[in-house]
Amino acid sequence: MGCSSSLPDRSSGQLAGLNSENGGVSDAKNLRVKLVLLGDSGVGKSCIVLRFVRGQFDPTSKVTVGASFLSQTIALQDSTTVKFEIWDTAGQERYAALAPLYYRGAAVAVVVYDITSPDSFAKAQYWVKELQKHGSPDIVMALVGNKADLNEKREVPVQDGIDYAEKNGMFFIETSAKTADNINQLFEEIAKRLPRPASS
Amino acid sequence: MEAAPSSSSTSTSTSTSSGGSVTFYDFLDRMRNPASLDLVRSIKSFIVSFSFYTPNPDNDGKKVQDFYLSMEAAIREHPLWAAATFEELDSAMEGLEKYVMTKLFSRTFASVPEDAKIDREVSEKICLLQTFLKPEHLDIPAVLHNEASWLLAEKELQKINTFKAPREKLLCIMNCCRVINNLLLNASMSENHALAGLDDFLPVLIYVTIKASSPCFCWYMYDESRPCPFCSKNANPPQLHSNLKFIQLYRRQAKLVSEAAYYFTNLVSAKTFIVDLNGKSLSMDEIKFEESMQAARLTQTNRATQIEASPTLQGQTDPTLTRMHDKEKDTSGGSSYPYMDAEAGELTVGDVERLLSLYKDVVTKYTSLYKVVRHLSMSKTEIPHSEGTSFLLTQPEGTNTKIDHQRGN
Repeated sequence: MGCSSSLPDRSSGQLAGLNSENGGVSDAKNLRVKLVLLGDSGVGKSCIVLRFVRGQFDPTSKVTVGASFLSQTIALQDSTTVKFEIWDTAGQERYAALAPLYYRGAAVAVVVYDITSPDSFAKAQYWVKELQKHGSPDIVMALVGNKADLNEKREVPVQDGIDYAEKNGMFFIETSAKTADNINQLFEEIAKRLPRPASS
Repeated sequence: MEAAPSSSSTSTSTSTSSGGSVTFYDFLDRMRNPASLDLVRSIKSFIVSFSFYTPNPDNDGKKVQDFYLSMEAAIREHPLWAAATFEELDSAMEGLEKYVMTKLFSRTFASVPEDAKIDREVSEKICLLQTFLKPEHLDIPAVLHNEASWLLAEKELQKINTFKAPREKLLCIMNCCRVINNLLLNASMSENHALAGLDDFLPVLIYVTIKASSPCFCWYMYDESRPCPFCSKNANPPQLHSNLKFIQLYRRQAKLVSEAAYYFTNLVSAKTFIVDLNGKSLSMDEIKFEESMQAARLTQTNRATQIEASPTLQGQTDPTLTRMHDKEKDTSGGSSYPYMDAEAGELTVGDVERLLSLYKDVVTKYTSLYKVVRHLSMSKTEIPHSEGTSFLLTQPEGTNTKIDHQRGN
């Protein structure tokens, strides 16, 4: 386990001043989105995010690097921007009951499992059910099978992920935080699926 | 006026920390300008209006938030802020929040008995836990065992009670979390410990919260508004529940977002974990957990009863003394020293022996205390002495427990 991607750059102080904090400005062109990460500990939730945040090489991007809260803005082809505010959660069993505090009000939930661990896949399904019961009704959910680089140790078939996601109306993707495979695609796909505020 | 908490101690984001007291003085200056008389009137009448109602936290919170919004609109339209940038408007609003909530603090903080009760329950639970909880019980990895960092984080969190403005209280939480974040980042760099996000962060925050919230058990009666000069803990443990609720209700809603909201949520989460904590929540044998909790409860009860029952420091229970003590229990202050209210004429020869023993006891305690205090003043520790309640009592530890009980009633 562990992230093989490089460490976050500690010097990248936050440039976003008060403007970005202004009452959660989200207009049709610039969305600000709360994204919550759920999944067993050790599946690589944090690594996916670090890879995503570090993988963007736009030096002007306003990146906040904490150890557990990160944000990243991406530009879409239709010239809209989406700022993801990524809320990590603690994956250990003993903190499971605290998750609602984190996913309350989230527009996106990314549920992560490890393709080499059937237990983590079962846990992912638990989170999906939780979110269906207690999350916002219009929450966008993604199911992510991480550690795709460890294909030789795979224990959760791709098809199982696809089937489960389809049944539950989720977007599905397999990623590797280690090789950065599909990491950007994951967030771009999520961005496309976000409900847009009416551009009046 | 209190100084704003500093937020420059770490390298991570400072999105919520734009200039503290400077902007506040700027706000006060503008409010002194005759042109802002209408604003000043609105603010004053709003503050006064609170004295007409009994506290109701949810309603009060809504009223304050609505007031912020209407004042924001008024300031935006105001000639004094005609050419103001967004930042200037924002700092005016920060000033307004600080002014209003400092004025309304005693009326809004822990304003209903239910909140005080929850605070007491949380701190009682923490008192028990801190007697035996170890980092291992929360599976904090060894590379994150860093007493210096933890202590720093505790100190940041403890500052929360020294501020009245919601923004500054929130900053204390942010600063505490930044210290922990830095610990995690440092461990990942120097120890090659993989960054595990909240999996690592939350256990440390919970541990720090418990340590930061343990009250002082020294038996020195000090000024309760300041940290104990001996152990630097607070007489009043941080009112975790009330502080969180206060920030939630009275911090400008537009500011309790993003990173600030995230770290705020983490402390809420730590508090919730502590409240619900049972034998299954820790990496610890369930039976051992129950035993440890029971032992901690007993120690606390002993602390409280020792002081009630035993007139001497060593607890030598002279039956006659205890009887005497019981008889006089209702005379306040005289409970430990039964002759305090006695007249010379009432004394008999039989009292001499007891009086002598009490005298020796008092002198022994006084001299040892005097030595300690002298030693401390020589090492330049500030000791608030002989002002009001700041008074040296020759009583064993447990004094605080007693105070807590009184406060609880």
